[in-house]
Amino acid sequence: MRNRATTPLKQPKIRQSWSKYNLYNLSRLKDNYRPSATFFQQKWKSKAAARAYHGEQVSEKQWTRMFSPRLRSVVPMAPSNLARDDGSAMSAGRGSGLTKAPKPEEQPEFGEFDEEEEAAASKPTEKFEGDRKTPYVQMTFAPLERRLDTAIFRAMFASSARQARQFVVHGAVKVNGKPMRYPGYLLNPGDMFQVEPERVMYATGAPKDKVERRQTRVARKKAAEEAKKAEEAAEEAAAEEASTPEEATKEESAPIEAPRETLKALMAQAKAIMNSSKDVLPAKRKQDLRGFQKAVRRVLSRSGNSTVLTANLEEQFSELTTLLKAKRVEKKPVKAKEETEKQEGGEEKQKAEKTEESATEKSESKDATPKAGENGPITTKLSEAFRQAIQNPEKDVDTSELSDDEFEVLRRALVQMRDNPVDSTKPYATPWRPRDYMSAFATIPRYLEVNHNICAAVYLRHPVARPGFAEVPTPFGVRTNTPAFLWYLRRR
Amino acid sequence: MAQRIPNHLVSNTLLPYLSSSPSPSLFRLTTACTSSSLADASRPASRSFSTTRPSQTMLRREMIRWLRGKGSELKHHIPGETNYITHTNKPFPANSNYRSDPILSEDLRNEIHNQVTVQNKSVRAVSVHYGVDMRRVAAVVRLVELENQMKEQGKSLALPYARAIHEMVPVTPLPSEEEGRRAHETINDLPVHRLTDPQIFYPVSESRQFNRIDAGRVFSAAPAMANRHAEQLQANPDETIRKITQESPAKIEKVGKGDGEHQVLLPADARIPHPHMITHERNRLTIGKTEPGEVRQKYRARLEQETAVELQRKERAQQRLDMKTQKVQPENSRFEFRFTDVVVSRETTGLTGRGHMAPGRRYGVPSYDRKKGQVKIPTRVLV
Repeated sequence: MRNRATTPLKQPKIRQSWSKYNLYNLSRLKDNYRPSATFFQQKWKSKAAARAYHGEQVSEKQWTRMFSPRLRSVVPMAPSNLARDDGSAMSAGRGSGLTKAPKPEEQPEFGEFDEEEEAAASKPTEKFEGDRKTPYVQMTFAPLERRLDTAIFRAMFASSARQARQFVVHGAVKVNGKPMRYPGYLLNPGDMFQVEPERVMYATGAPKDKVERRQTRVARKKAAEEAKKAEEAAEEAAAEEASTPEEATKEESAPIEAPRETLKALMAQAKAIMNSSKDVLPAKRKQDLRGFQKAVRRVLSRSGNSTVLTANLEEQFSELTTLLKAKRVEKKPVKAKEETEKQEGGEEKQKAEKTEESATEKSESKDATPKAGENGPITTKLSEAFRQAIQNPEKDVDTSELSDDEFEVLRRALVQMRDNPVDSTKPYATPWRPRDYMSAFATIPRYLEVNHNICAAVYLRHPVARPGFAEVPTPFGVRTNTPAFLWYLRRR
Repeated sequence: MAQRIPNHLVSNTLLPYLSSSPSPSLFRLTTACTSSSLADASRPASRSFSTTRPSQTMLRREMIRWLRGKGSELKHHIPGETNYITHTNKPFPANSNYRSDPILSEDLRNEIHNQVTVQNKSVRAVSVHYGVDMRRVAAVVRLVELENQMKEQGKSLALPYARAIHEMVPVTPLPSEEEGRRAHETINDLPVHRLTDPQIFYPVSESRQFNRIDAGRVFSAAPAMANRHAEQLQANPDETIRKITQESPAKIEKVGKGDGEHQVLLPADARIPHPHMITHERNRLTIGKTEPGEVRQKYRARLEQETAVELQRKERAQQRLDMKTQKVQPENSRFEFRFTDVVVSRETTGLTGRGHMAPGRRYGVPSYDRKKGQVKIPTRVLV
């Protein structure tokens, strides 16, 4: 299927896509009422604009068959209101409730209980009442949200509906654990769909730049050459001796990562980061990174225990702390341990955040020394502590310099290196970062429950409208969607 | 919308991606200053003599100017904040009726999973406790199970991606002990029923208590209840609603004849997902001030009872299914064959005899299976 979902600037069309062209068009979009146009023209224009966004890949015939004039909606009910009244108060008198007498000025004597309850009850009603109408017409294209490709786009697994469709067609999508190759599959409530995480990382990650692409080519070439050489060597060996298999196995088992190698790789990664993304990283951050590199290298080079580098992160970290002879552990051994253990489990989800921001300082954990954020970057202090440890190993490190934050920072940095490595074989820029302008489109509708770690989502129910809000993510307002809805009602 | 207060110190200074935007504030500042000069530079000073078309149209130049100026702050996000064109939680400037709803934070997700699977709490109880829809609770449990399974198998996860998404969209955090619980979403949504669409003028005598049960009957064109019966129902509303929701749906009264037969519309009390909350509120209103302990105890008892009933219902459904299907698993086979009797009855064929649910050839019912243009996309995937 040819991709006709272009984003022209002249006659702008909004698409289901995260491109910057689309964003620019979206910023220019106005929900205008055009009184000079005929009714037919209004409807035609509106439905054309709406259809360019909603199910552009679906033919008009298909869509008209899917269209339903019945629009789903819900009303949030407050149990306290239902408990208070069985409905008879609302229908009392002439059918719309009794006219209330104006409230007396003086407080009722036994009223404290009622008053309190009333105050509690009036809050939700205030929230839901008022002139918040249910925007039914915004639900015009709700049936299209059931489509598998659209749902994948909505769950933010693809950068456009077209890409989502491609994922489905190329067999990267499963529904309820079974491969599903039809982008037009209509999800049923409770269906779980999952996309291969690698594809999602590719779709949502920043693309490689020129330098990175070149690095990839070089690496690939090198790998191919090495493979060729190894093959030749193996062939020669096979020709020479019959007892080669043992040797071959040895050769294979040889490149078990030595601890030193791991460290080297770690440093190389950091280096590569700095080299590749010069334009992305500001000078300040590069300095920090360099400081970190140095610190890790210095400390780990003194490590007597060689297995520590291949061991898991927790061990690495504890090794670092013991190397530093940090008093911190002695001070509050239990707490520190608990913290690290706890953090290890829920590490991945922790939101990243810049230390430069003052917001971070506010939200620091209570036991953290406020010093950390104040004077300069954390890393300088960290590396300072490292340096101290290295220069006079006999002397104890001045642990007042090292706060919990700094330990945390170091540990997190190691975790990051593991989770988000530099890898030229990936089709996206590594370490992974979101593509530009992604955040402007980032929203997850309520009818989906998404687990981004595994790139799986559950279609909970059909989208509904509720007072004030409609769940179908549409860029158009009521003035566009109403004529579009009327068009498909076929009473034109 | 839930406010997002970053409660962890997370530092990104050390490694590049964590926050994609190195320092957006700085970036913005520089671009804002230079954008005008850049735009000027991109405009040709005078007409060139080249015959090739200019590579940049005016529209394109405008776009680039916008991207460098106003749009530059949309390029990268600030972790923990939404970054929409509107600077609110509404991603579409022309659509004020859509807002970006918060998603569950990872802590909250894990806690829900823990409560359901490890602590063995009912989905209903967890749903009420955190203000999360029951279907969402079930989905969360399912997804976290899958995640654990994938972790065990050593499959690669999209961790940096997940982290980035949780930075960009509003998130409902796991409520800590001190701060009160805040609901993630409304859990007592009443679906608007088709029967309630028309406006009906229905005269009732003023002396009569016209409640929601009566309204349901009017909407579904059922005859009014006998006064004695109505009074009985009204005397103990909690018990009435409990009976309706917990007894078999087959017991719901029906009206109409033949094809037009339909169930009488139930009152809103019975159609919301958590009717037991109304009972609880009623208890609070009546004896809440004097015996709060008893209210709590009653609530717990009711929850347990609800759970027991649901479990029983589920078991019965499973039994019925087992009765219908015959399972055969040959030796040394990975497959299990399940045989179910085909049913050609009034239920499956419909009154006209043309219903597509019933299998096989029937007289006068052509099969369009092989006809051109028939859609063969599966309509359901069984788990």
